[in-house]
Amino acid sequence: MAKIDLDKMLAKVKATQWSLADIDWDAPGADRITDEQWPRLKEFMADLMWIEHVGARAFAAMAKKAPTDTLRELYSYFHAEEQRHANAEMALMKRWGMLDGDELPEPNINLRLVIEWLDRYSDEMPVYVLGTVVPMLEIALDGALCKFLLDTVDDPVCHQAFEKINDDESRHLGVGFTVMEMQGHGATYTRMVTMAARLMDPRLILGIASYFPLLNKMRDNVVAMGLSEEKLYECMGKFEKIGGRTEDGRRNPWFQIIKLHSRWVVNRDNRLYHTPVDAIVKVTSYIPRRALPAVPSWVRELTYRPTA
Amino acid sequence: MSNPSRPKTPGRRKRHPSATVLIVGAGFAGLGTAIRLQQAGIRDIVILERAADVGGTWRDNQYPGAACDIPSNLYSYSFDQNPDWSRSFSGSTEIFEYIKAMVERFDLAQYIRFNQNVTDLAYDDQHGLWRASTESGEQFSARAAVMAHGPLSNPSYPDIAGIDRYQGHKIHSAAWDHDYDFRGKKVGVIGTGASAIQIIPELVKDAQKLTVFQRTPAWVMPRPDFETPQWQKQLFRRLPASQSALRKGLYLAHESMALAVIWDSPVTRLAERLGRWHLRHQVRDRWLRRQLTPDYRIGCKRILVSNDYYPALQQPNCKLITWPIARLCENGIRTVEGIEHQFDCIVFATGFDVSHSGTPFPVRGSGGRLLSEDWQRGAQAYKSVNVAGYPNLFLTFGPNSGPGHNSVLVYMESQIDYIVRGVKTILNRNLKSLAVRDSAQQAYNDGIQKRLARTNWNSGCKSWYLTEDGFNATMYPGFASQYARQMKELDLRDYVLTPP
Ligand SMILES: Cc1cc2nc3c(=O)[nH]c(=O)nc-3n(C[C@H](O)[C@H](O)[C@H](O)COP(=O)(O)OP(=O)(O)OC[C@H]3O[C@@H](n4cnc5c(N)ncnc54)[C@H](O)[C@@H]3O)c2cc1C
Ligand SMILES: [Fe+2]
Ligand SMILES: [Fe+2]
Repeated sequence: MAKIDLDKMLAKVKATQWSLADIDWDAPGADRITDEQWPRLKEFMADLMWIEHVGARAFAAMAKKAPTDTLRELYSYFHAEEQRHANAEMALMKRWGMLDGDELPEPNINLRLVIEWLDRYSDEMPVYVLGTVVPMLEIALDGALCKFLLDTVDDPVCHQAFEKINDDESRHLGVGFTVMEMQGHGATYTRMVTMAARLMDPRLILGIASYFPLLNKMRDNVVAMGLSEEKLYECMGKFEKIGGRTEDGRRNPWFQIIKLHSRWVVNRDNRLYHTPVDAIVKVTSYIPRRALPAVPSWVRELTYRPTA
Repeated sequence: MSNPSRPKTPGRRKRHPSATVLIVGAGFAGLGTAIRLQQAGIRDIVILERAADVGGTWRDNQYPGAACDIPSNLYSYSFDQNPDWSRSFSGSTEIFEYIKAMVERFDLAQYIRFNQNVTDLAYDDQHGLWRASTESGEQFSARAAVMAHGPLSNPSYPDIAGIDRYQGHKIHSAAWDHDYDFRGKKVGVIGTGASAIQIIPELVKDAQKLTVFQRTPAWVMPRPDFETPQWQKQLFRRLPASQSALRKGLYLAHESMALAVIWDSPVTRLAERLGRWHLRHQVRDRWLRRQLTPDYRIGCKRILVSNDYYPALQQPNCKLITWPIARLCENGIRTVEGIEHQFDCIVFATGFDVSHSGTPFPVRGSGGRLLSEDWQRGAQAYKSVNVAGYPNLFLTFGPNSGPGHNSVLVYMESQIDYIVRGVKTILNRNLKSLAVRDSAQQAYNDGIQKRLARTNWNSGCKSWYLTEDGFNATMYPGFASQYARQMKELDLRDYVLTPP
């Protein structure tokens, strides 16, 4: 993946858009989901859909903060594209009879916490924090999950949808890594220190506190689905490889931090990390839904209907 | 509009005897110019108007909710005040009536040639005459020409893929379809600018479902709009000085807004605070508020005023969409979040073609030079009114004459009086031509651009004020009173005067 020209990328993004209406959601093949697959797939899809949606919200925050017009516009497109992924995945769930009427699937509690955090604080985060976390999530979760899904699910409509989704994703990643390198370019020791100082921001700590358990929780869910942990970790390794392929990329302090973290996540033997984080996952599962504020209204924008 | 069967070779044109002054456009500017010329004793005037009626902006913009956003007492001519304005911000119909009444009061109909769409305006060096060719194949000429064709008179449609594919009903805000019944219809509105925020509160009352597509949120301020009490109308009628006093007060109030609008000052912050307060006060949902919060400095684009726009967006049958538009399709609008929004009718509140560099029709100056070529890198003029190389030609609303904080008509009056002075100079000194010096124009523009660099308009947002490469050929960087002062005097040292 070479460093890309963001203006050309924006033009390309604009010129190649797709809609839910491009796909025939009633085409044959829905019955290829086995009864055995169905319950776990339902949970998996719900998680996946929510991750897309959470990614969307992160792009929305980046769109407000990005340093150039081109990036701002790219991010507002990506915001919408992630929403499109979530919508398309919801349409698949509808197709597979996984939606309770018109109801949105319930997000798991860790997602709920991340949603809450994004809603309150993401707009105030420095753009590069999200700019590094998002490619990480995209490559690891999105990437691993989508690939896994296609390996397990036989439904042609699912493949059709994900072909489009993956095209979008590869552009998101291209931009993501380019931006990480831009950020690393000319990074100095002092800058590194000031950026690290941002880590002490309580709002960011809160974000981290909701993001870490989410990763572990997702790992548990994915493993329950039958995805080998290695696959997930392979993808995280890819983040490390691509993000660190150039001097500039490696100089980006956020890259270093996230990379370090992803190593902890991957290393199951790192008890110092996993014991407390797994414990949090456990604890959070006891949080009563009532204790959480109402979902923010941007969540209600999701829809499986191709037309409105 | 064009009629291909009729040959338009110049030789076959029907030629009218030449006049003293030829004016293109019968909107506020063209009519105001005619009135002041007439008052100066110049009556040999011809006004060419492409439509079948006067009024320009206010003839064309008759969409529901259309109104001015500068108080009527200031958005009217000081030489023709109207004591009867029904509200502080009058509706479009009332302004249109005011213009038509003005035509009667000053007996302007005699000058106007309707249905004459000017397609070419050329200076004849030899005779010192401007010749206007019109679509109907006629030719009018005069010693001096005034381009008063209006800056916002050509509706523009957005550059969206598939715009011609859409099969439903299409309406542009500046060419309203009054026969269309919105009741029970699914309606989309593209745009959230000055016109849109007036249309939306009206359409939401009728449409079954209204979907609003926003690209950039604007700053929206509360609008102090009141019905005029009867006693006030009577007072104004009996004591015109009282109306002039109110006008003066409004003028000064708007002048002070320049501090917020034009330059980045503490007042700018204050205005932004007022805007945010207005939003917080009217919109409870945090996400909707976020969608409606502008991300550019106030003043960088036109500031909007409305009390009912935000409430309208929150009506149960209304929805704001901020996803980028991917394209139009047969049944509606596809946005990037993958959804096709289907409509019976799409309203384009997308503004006007503002030409920053070109001209709406070819304008040929001395030696056949083309104004669009001279303006290729951004329009330039001397004091916004004259252009070097184009003798005896005057512009209203020319380059860098737009206010962001005050009534256009205040600026227009200064321009008009300047034009009258110019024409009188030509006549009194019996000149063949009055031509502004290139050096004077240069010097003037260097000053303007230097001052513009420090304004909010040039602070980084995209707006119709700027060209694609960010050149500001639209706005005047200063107070209206500063502008008026510069227009007070016709400095003949800046001109070349040529006798016949
Ligand atoms: C919806 C709207 C609201 C506005 N509200 C305000 C406000 O509140 N306050 C304010 O200060 N300004 C406002 N403006 C700006 C407004 O345009 C000016 O205030 C003013 O009306 C401009 O007058 P004009 O005569 O220059 O142009 P116009 O009113 O546009 O008149 C130009 C005339 O020229 C004619 N014409 C154009 N081309 C040709 C041609 N080739 N041949 C022959 N005739 C031609 C047109 O048909 C038209 O009649 C508003 C504008 C719009 C569109
Ligand atoms: Fe995605
Ligand atoms: Fe993505």
